[in-house]
Amino acid sequence: MLVLLKALAAQAHQWRHGYDLMKETGLLSGTLYPLLMRMTDQGLVEAEWREPVQPGRPPRHAYRLTTQGLELARSATDRADAPPSKAALA
Amino acid sequence: MTEAMAKALIALAGRCLGESRRDWALAMQSEFDIARAEGRPLAFAAGCLIAAVREMPMHEEGRFVLANYILVIGLVVPMAALQFAWGLGFPSSVPGQTGLYSMLAPGIFGDPYLAGAYAAAAPLLLALWLLLGLGHLRLAWAVLDHDWARAGRAAAFIMALIVTLAIFMAVLFLDCRDVMFHVAALAVELIALSCSARWHRELFPSGDVASCWQTI
Repeated sequence: MLVLLKALAAQAHQWRHGYDLMKETGLLSGTLYPLLMRMTDQGLVEAEWREPVQPGRPPRHAYRLTTQGLELARSATDRADAPPSKAALA
Repeated sequence: MTEAMAKALIALAGRCLGESRRDWALAMQSEFDIARAEGRPLAFAAGCLIAAVREMPMHEEGRFVLANYILVIGLVVPMAALQFAWGLGFPSSVPGQTGLYSMLAPGIFGDPYLAGAYAAAAPLLLALWLLLGLGHLRLAWAVLDHDWARAGRAAAFIMALIVTLAIFMAVLFLDCRDVMFHVAALAVELIALSCSARWHRELFPSGDVASCWQTI
């Protein structure tokens, strides 16, 4: 989930497509879609049908983080980047 | 071939996701076109199917579909197999007997004075047992289609066959314990079917069976 949060947070205000997220994160569709579904259910991600860039293609489902999702992504990234505490090193 | 299989997998994934996740099924379908253009349709479709199957127990439609499959694979199909096996001479539920022919064999279980009658009755009895098996397969199909009217007709057909068998076997002075076992099994099946049909009605109160099946 962290890798997906990071990928979505990297371009927080941009709508992202499932296949592009798969390629960027290295997640397989069998992992990505359950994560997206769960995160959408929890209000971390919003999903929307977007018109395709290329004409003649069907609309695509696109995703981006909500404010709540963005906060979670920031706190998760901070936690991951923070140096280990003394207690943890002891 | 690969693409056809991938298409089938993605369609199956869509069915597994059900009405509550219809948007996600369509999302997978639209991304499938991209995966196909990039030459990875099968891996993508297989992943989507895994995701959809994992999702099934999370929503009520999925639980209903799974329960129906369990009912069919765990009860109705084994009953059909049992009837075919018994008709073709495999061991029956009655100890010491090995199917229809041993029951009819004169001098072992049957009356030697009725040997001619047994020989004449054997093909018809065999046909009735095999029809009973076919009736169960028809019932299984109707249950998976969620076509309760057809399932009801199949159950009535099975019931009629069992009654015919019981009468026929009683007339020939044959042991009817196996038929009693099938009556008991049919009663269990009917109770399970009635629960399944009620659950289906609660899920889709409109009662539009065809459209319900389209969504699952």
